[in-house]
Amino acid sequence: MSDPAAQGLQPRLLQGQSAAGSTGSGAAVATGSGSANSDPARPGLSQQQRASQKKAQVRAFPRAKKLEKLGVFSACKASDTCKCNGWKNPNPPTAPRVDLQQHAASLSEPCRSCGHALADHVSHLENVSEDEINRLLGMVVDVENLFMSVHKEENTDTKQVYFYLFKLLRKCILQMSQPVVEGSLGNPPFEKPNIEQGVLNFVQYKFSHLAPKERQTMFELSKMFLLCLNYWKLETPTQYRQRTQKDDGTAYKVDYTRWLCYCHVPQSNDSLPRYETTHVFGRSLLKSIFTVTRRQLLEKFRVEKDKLLPEKRTLILTHFPKFLSMLEEEIYGENSPIWEADFTVPAADGAQLGHQMVISPAPVSGSSALSKALSAGSSLSLDASGSEPIPGEKRKLPEALTLEDAKRIRVMGDIPMELVNEVMMTITDPAAMLGPETNLLTPNAARDETARLEERRGIIEFHVIGNSLSQKSNKKILMWLVGLQNVFSHQLPRMPKEYITRLVFDPKHKTLALIKDGRVIGGICFRMFPTQGFTEIVFCAVTSNEQVKGYGTHLMNHLKEYHIKHNILYFLTYADEYAIGYFKKQGFSKDIKVPKSRYLGYIKDYEGATLMECELNPRIPYTELSHIIKRQKEIIKKLIERKQSQIRKVYPGLTCFKEGVRQIPVESIPGIRETGWKPSGKEKVKEVKDPDVLYNMLKNLLAQIKTHPDAWPFMEPVKKSEAPDYYEIIRFPIDLKTMTERLKNRYYVTKKLFIADLQRIITNCREYNPPDSEYCKSANTLEKFFYFKLKDGGLIEK
Amino acid sequence: MSADTKIAELLTELHQLIKHTQEERSRSEHNLLNIHKTHERMQTENKTSPYYRNKLRGLYTTAKADAEAECGILRRALDKIAEIKSLLEERRIAAKMAGVYSDSDPPRKTMRRGVLMTLLQQSAMTLPLWIGKPGESPPPLCGATPASGDYVAKQGDKVAARVKAVDGDEQWILAEVVSYSHAANKYEVDDIDEEGKERHTLSRRRIIPLPQWKANPETDPEALFSKDQLVLALYPQTTCFYRALIHAPPHRPQDDYSVLFEDTSYADGYSPPLNVAQRYVVACKENKKK
Repeated sequence: MSDPAAQGLQPRLLQGQSAAGSTGSGAAVATGSGSANSDPARPGLSQQQRASQKKAQVRAFPRAKKLEKLGVFSACKASDTCKCNGWKNPNPPTAPRVDLQQHAASLSEPCRSCGHALADHVSHLENVSEDEINRLLGMVVDVENLFMSVHKEENTDTKQVYFYLFKLLRKCILQMSQPVVEGSLGNPPFEKPNIEQGVLNFVQYKFSHLAPKERQTMFELSKMFLLCLNYWKLETPTQYRQRTQKDDGTAYKVDYTRWLCYCHVPQSNDSLPRYETTHVFGRSLLKSIFTVTRRQLLEKFRVEKDKLLPEKRTLILTHFPKFLSMLEEEIYGENSPIWEADFTVPAADGAQLGHQMVISPAPVSGSSALSKALSAGSSLSLDASGSEPIPGEKRKLPEALTLEDAKRIRVMGDIPMELVNEVMMTITDPAAMLGPETNLLTPNAARDETARLEERRGIIEFHVIGNSLSQKSNKKILMWLVGLQNVFSHQLPRMPKEYITRLVFDPKHKTLALIKDGRVIGGICFRMFPTQGFTEIVFCAVTSNEQVKGYGTHLMNHLKEYHIKHNILYFLTYADEYAIGYFKKQGFSKDIKVPKSRYLGYIKDYEGATLMECELNPRIPYTELSHIIKRQKEIIKKLIERKQSQIRKVYPGLTCFKEGVRQIPVESIPGIRETGWKPSGKEKVKEVKDPDVLYNMLKNLLAQIKTHPDAWPFMEPVKKSEAPDYYEIIRFPIDLKTMTERLKNRYYVTKKLFIADLQRIITNCREYNPPDSEYCKSANTLEKFFYFKLKDGGLIEK
Repeated sequence: MSADTKIAELLTELHQLIKHTQEERSRSEHNLLNIHKTHERMQTENKTSPYYRNKLRGLYTTAKADAEAECGILRRALDKIAEIKSLLEERRIAAKMAGVYSDSDPPRKTMRRGVLMTLLQQSAMTLPLWIGKPGESPPPLCGATPASGDYVAKQGDKVAARVKAVDGDEQWILAEVVSYSHAANKYEVDDIDEEGKERHTLSRRRIIPLPQWKANPETDPEALFSKDQLVLALYPQTTCFYRALIHAPPHRPQDDYSVLFEDTSYADGYSPPLNVAQRYVVACKENKKK
């Protein structure tokens, strides 16, 4: 615990715990250790504190008293035949606490059971150092406490473990050895990566794109969660079996025993080596305990909310439930990356950050990546847990996520932030908009705009649901599954009803259900193949009277986001002739990138249907995409308007496209340079693929070179009459006229050929003429000029 | 531009009428209070003297006149709204004829279907409610009241049109009247769904004009289709009319009909109840099933 954040949290947590103890409301919250029932007579002290008090007390005894105490746990060495393994006081003190303090039994006092003197029991301790004596005494105290625990404990599993530890410590006192838990439990750590690593990975995975402040918040939450886990009292195997309805709690029982021996008991029993729960256990334990722990934790925080520090109250009450919901998905999710041994945050962290910032105008729309991330759990939850904060609060945190944070990763020469902010102010200022008209749908409104609004207003909901054989599905889920089966069978009349029923209710298939007024009006049934890295879209339909409202698009976008969360980035589907159009609109294509071997035999093959694929980009927030693009368009439109009002010059539009030209170089657009446009660095080095584009670029360039004042010596082939030996010296003559012809004949299929010829003009000139000649001077100037132009046109690197 | 100024004028007039209404209301308030007080006094005195009888008669006559005056203003306001709407409609038709898009947005080849559906819903919602004078019965094309036999739909009117689809099947589509030839007794109509972009020439009997007023269930329930009546109704989110039974007529002016569409994919041959606006429910002529 070297982390300052965690240390900052610790006192607060302890404060909360002791408060729980005093009010008696802490229920399942374990603060100390030992038995579940803390001593009612001494409510103020934890068992841990009592144990250490007692130890200090015992260690302060005079030597004789200490020996008497140890003698009780030491074998008699009077003769080989004596089996007595502990001296028993012949005069048991009546009031032990007072009496023991006063006088020690004499070494000659005989043992009540074997009759040999105390000295015979403690002879082995004669030359033992005070430190070792104290260590043994500590064990004695622990043994006594364990003895009490064994008696008080009612749960048989726990009792057994206490008894085992009791015997172990007794043996160690006898043998003066170090206690080591043996048996089939194995040694810590029991799983890798451990819980702490997993949770920290989770924070990295989910929140690394956030601004430092928000990231820190999430980090604090994670530390708090880990700290809680370390001091959490696990449910007994019996409780576990009752709760999960599983007959086989063997694995949990092993973990529970490990936890008692290595984590829980050692908290108050320092003779045993202590390990942190979150250090030695991994995902499997977390899987077993998370649901119940989460419930207890949230309940605890809810009950004690008044005792929390005010500044932390919002954090805990608002964000902690979300945090836990998101974590839950990673714990129970089939292929969460956070548990991988070599988990690393995607390397393109910075790029990702920039991307996120650019596409979500966070401070304005209030839908930043964080609020999205936080709300994602609620809109798409398997169990629709009731612990969500009220929607209005979702927007609180992201406000801090200003565009300022994005500044440092901005591109050189980009539009200044102030300007962008200013423009965004105007487009989001409701007064600047055109009255109530905006409420109506314009013909350009995005396909999913209505659906998105309806979801925001709570008119429609999206849930991923599925049948389960191991768990009893709740009634609502089953009703929805029936609803889905109905929608699919009505909308897909060619599919046999029985077949639809079989797949919708198959536990391996899941369905993203669209709910309106509590009724299913559409859905996408899918099957995930995590090992194959794709998901099959099985059925997809919206009930007929709710069609053409953008629900299908919004459904698919939700499904995409769900899969990004579960790290599956390919959709495959067999689309029938009516569905192809829909899938195309959703970004599917007939071009299949997933290798056949990965899906063959997995995906259901339909005769006469077309296999289509959609590749997902994990950096795209699909449900917000059209909104974001609309915003970007608005911003750009505004920026253009501003620029236009500054330049105040109107050029006639381009006509070349009407004449059949497909593409022209951007720099050849009249007036584009005045706007401050410069060719972007990225395009410069890339090879121009389109021959027409290359042709136009080269043509443009050649024309510019030919009009240069120093181009005159190279305009035409050198005439033999003027330089008779020219063609003997120059093996590869070239000139601008020849180049023009070669260009017309489409000889320059790559820029390399073109540049080579240009360069040859210069080298030929230098070869044939003396360096200080007029020709060479022209060649030098021209060379500089065309290299400048080449760079400028992006044909060569700067 | 003249239409614009006209609309602006009408809006100003409408605004004034609304203000007038409020004035009228405040004015009659005093008289209504008097009536109330008189009744109270009569109650305490527990007898109906000729004095009170006369007084009340006078008061009620005034109140009736006041109410009629207020009613008149409201009707004038409604007329203004209708006038504005018809001007807008004229402009729309003119623009359509000229092939110009009234919208300043860049033209789209075809309207997205979702947008078209929204427009159809809005058109149904803004269909005026018939407010008759006392004793006046709803006119033709109000609610379920059919048009007279010789009625000719105007240009731009929405109709249900029976057309032959590509596959030879006949179906009722939502269409807009382009013209009517008195000589041939034939309509020219456009499919409302621009994706079709087809112009149909159809005989009179293949055209059913859509209602031009909503009938008020509270005052003119007889102008509504009744339960179990066979109708043609626009299937939600489509531009086609299908045979349906009225499941429940609307209860309030803004309510929709609840109808059961004939649908063989359901066991009982009818769909679950779906809502369709008054605008898109018309009488079904053919009684024999297809």
